[in-house]
Amino acid sequence: MSVLFRIILVIFSLLTVGYIIRKIRRSQLQIEDSVFWIVFSIFLVILAFFPSIAIFLSGLLGIASPVNFVFLVIIFILMVKCFSLSIYLSQLNDKIKKLSQHIAINEKVKEDREKQEVV
Amino acid sequence: MLLQNSPAILRHIQRNNIIICSIITNINGLVYIVHNRYNRKGNETLGCTYGRKALIMNVLIIIPAYNEAGIIEWVVDNLIINYPHFDYIVVNDGSKDDTSEICRRNGYNLLDLPVNIGLSGAVQAGMKYAEKLEYDAVLQFDGDGQHDPAYIQPMVNQMVKTGADIVIGSRFKTVKKSFNPRMLGSRVIHCLVRLTTGYNMTDPTSGMRLYSMPIAREFANNINYGPEPDTIAYLLRNGVSLSEVQVGMNERKTGESYLNWAGALRYMMRICSSIVFIQWFRKRSI
Repeated sequence: MSVLFRIILVIFSLLTVGYIIRKIRRSQLQIEDSVFWIVFSIFLVILAFFPSIAIFLSGLLGIASPVNFVFLVIIFILMVKCFSLSIYLSQLNDKIKKLSQHIAINEKVKEDREKQEVV
Repeated sequence: MLLQNSPAILRHIQRNNIIICSIITNINGLVYIVHNRYNRKGNETLGCTYGRKALIMNVLIIIPAYNEAGIIEWVVDNLIINYPHFDYIVVNDGSKDDTSEICRRNGYNLLDLPVNIGLSGAVQAGMKYAEKLEYDAVLQFDGDGQHDPAYIQPMVNQMVKTGADIVIGSRFKTVKKSFNPRMLGSRVIHCLVRLTTGYNMTDPTSGMRLYSMPIAREFANNINYGPEPDTIAYLLRNGVSLSEVQVGMNERKTGESYLNWAGALRYMMRICSSIVFIQWFRKRSI
């Protein structure tokens, strides 16, 4: 790995951490949702500073290239995250459905009651 | 006891100052109700109303409407004028055009969903309303003029006669299906349903369905209960009884179908994968 590439890795991982923290500070992200991203970005920083971790682990598992190992791990983590987001989205969708149905039915029941009172 | 179970009739009675003298049931399968009546001069007289029990079953017609401003008036007026003994509710699914304004201007029964939540959510809203008002059955009826209200009564009669949980208005029970590409999807779903449930559902994509209240309640309160063939297939496999009635349908009058080519493909993917794979590990919770 060239020195330049390592410097780029470190700079970008630090920028990512900075970006995420800034978004949290501006409260565009809930704390509960931000935990994952903070841990994930710190993980990236650690890997950038100490690539030997990746080299050691890939050697342990018999993976020829450490890059493959890094890709494998990150893709897996993102896939799990993506799936959990999908679940979350489904639940939100269901909640929105229930809320709007509730609003519409309440409104209708109220209108009916008013009409009866007039009569 | 018949009337106690029928809030719509109770409301009708309260509204029109009807006093019931006696109810005689089961003379040749008919129900006779002796009650007071007001003649044209406004004098009170004695009258008798009778009908099949089917007529006394309270059905709420749910009309989901999304951007149907051009046709909704025609559909609902036709229903109100020609079939006034049915209760109906228009469910405006957050339309972008003035469907909601038109319904309010005409004083239709309207559930006005604040945002667009899709056909299944709209029908679900109607079912929740029916559950709240304790109807005996609900009928899903398109707001685009495709369905003919003349077939509602035969479907209700069928439900009473057979005791089926779901009655589908089928275009192809006695009429043969034509061989055009639009029927291709229908054929595919028909085959899948037949393979997985053994039931010969002649018109799975028909949107004209009558659900008895227990089933409608299940639809109203569960996730993944879209009023689509996959749910019907799933329920069939779980022992729900189904019956079909031959109906005729009109071509769409205005507006755009929920399904264009891309949409149709997505619809087919969803329904087919749901019937073939997902239904097997669903758990039914009542």
